[in-house]
Amino acid sequence: MKQQNVDTKTNLPDTGEADECLFEYLHAEMVNYVLSSKTNGKEGEEELSPLEWMGFGVGYRIMERLTREWARFKDELDTIKFICMDLWSSLYRKQIDNLRTNHQGVYVLHDNAFRLLTNIGAPDSTQYLREAPRLLAFTCGLLRGSLANLGIVSTVTAEIATLPSCKFHVQVQRV
Amino acid sequence: MSRTGARLDAKKVNSELFTLTYGALVTQLLKDYENVEDVNKQLERMGYNMGIRLIEDFLARTGSGRCYDFRDTAEKIQSGFKIFLGITPTITNWSPAGDAFSLCFETNPLTEFVELPDHCLNLKYCNILTGVLRGACEMVQMEVASWFLQDQLKNDSVTEIRVKFVKRLEDAIPAGED
Amino acid sequence: MAVCVAVIGKDNSPKYIRCSDETAALQFHYKVHTSIDIIEEKLNTGNKMAADVRELFLGLLFSTEEHKIFGYATNTKIKFIVVLQSTNASLRDNEVRMIFRKLHSAYANAVCNPFYVPGDQIQSKGFDTAVMEIMGVS
Repeated sequence: MKQQNVDTKTNLPDTGEADECLFEYLHAEMVNYVLSSKTNGKEGEEELSPLEWMGFGVGYRIMERLTREWARFKDELDTIKFICMDLWSSLYRKQIDNLRTNHQGVYVLHDNAFRLLTNIGAPDSTQYLREAPRLLAFTCGLLRGSLANLGIVSTVTAEIATLPSCKFHVQVQRV
Repeated sequence: MSRTGARLDAKKVNSELFTLTYGALVTQLLKDYENVEDVNKQLERMGYNMGIRLIEDFLARTGSGRCYDFRDTAEKIQSGFKIFLGITPTITNWSPAGDAFSLCFETNPLTEFVELPDHCLNLKYCNILTGVLRGACEMVQMEVASWFLQDQLKNDSVTEIRVKFVKRLEDAIPAGED
Repeated sequence: MAVCVAVIGKDNSPKYIRCSDETAALQFHYKVHTSIDIIEEKLNTGNKMAADVRELFLGLLFSTEEHKIFGYATNTKIKFIVVLQSTNASLRDNEVRMIFRKLHSAYANAVCNPFYVPGDQIQSKGFDTAVMEIMGVS
């Protein structure tokens, strides 16, 4: 006799959609790949720019799809709010918890429990704290790419104080 | 402030995030390696690493036990595609000895939006899938080999992955591959 | 049915132009260039008019005896221009909007092709197919 399939999902029609967990596994592999490639492994600072660059491409492209049904953004702040609320909650399951700005092109996006940090290590563990930048490089790029496609040129860096919370600093470049 | 747009469908957006991230990885690898064959190999290797982790998810979600035979394995692989990629490939073209079969499907989330340029005809864009199969099966003590026979990105009418049973493995934890 | 479809990049250079009658291409290219200026003007009307242009569809840009030219600008600063024949029966607002929705969706798909480099000319079978449908050529 065949075993009963207990997963109810298999009875649903095909959605053609990838399961959420695949992104996390793929992201982990990409981090490993970048760390193990030629330029890394030597002493000195880790070369994470390929992760940032891949994130940039993803952010740039996904923005083209996500803003299709959206009214034109009024201004920069309106755009950043879209990213904190709508983009973040659909990519990372929750909104940005806190947004601060100096109204001069600096935005600080604070996520209390960032999706890609929730599965690693114990909170406050210093060892994981050291590795955390590897897990944020892709998303820094994704933010920069999303903004770039919406016409906002910026630099994005990440800061971690206590896992799994982190802050993304967006510095808009004025032309 | 009024949010005038339609709500985004998080499940769909997450799937597209995966699709686009995979695309970014493939193009990065094409940049990093001179030889397309090396890209295919690297994708397979990364798939293998994903497979050995995905199988845990699969077993936890389905409560599956051991496979009775290779036909049983085929069906479990089929439901794995359903769970993780939202598609149900058809199982066909069984070898007379019952040790090889094909998985055929038309669309899959990896290739949504992809149009292969002419200079990439040797690229096995979805080669990560063959790695996932190898890794996942190895964790349940079975060595399989798989490869693409047809590929919709190369104008075939379907995508066909051939899966072949190689041998049973002793109960041992395989060494991780990087 | 549309007689000309154009995609204009962030830098205001054409990324894609397709006309149903290639012999009249020059005439259409001229119309497209005029349209770019009109769209820029519409989008730059300061805050007072902002409410009017929050919609991506910009409506009729201008018309000639023969043609009506419509515009659309995405949140990502890409402009779409569609030229329709004035005699065309399907000039209802909703149908024009549908044309742009279809174009926008095809454009988003083309951008998501990992082999497409943003800012390059659009060379995509999928996009061609969508444009052909819009122009009623198949």
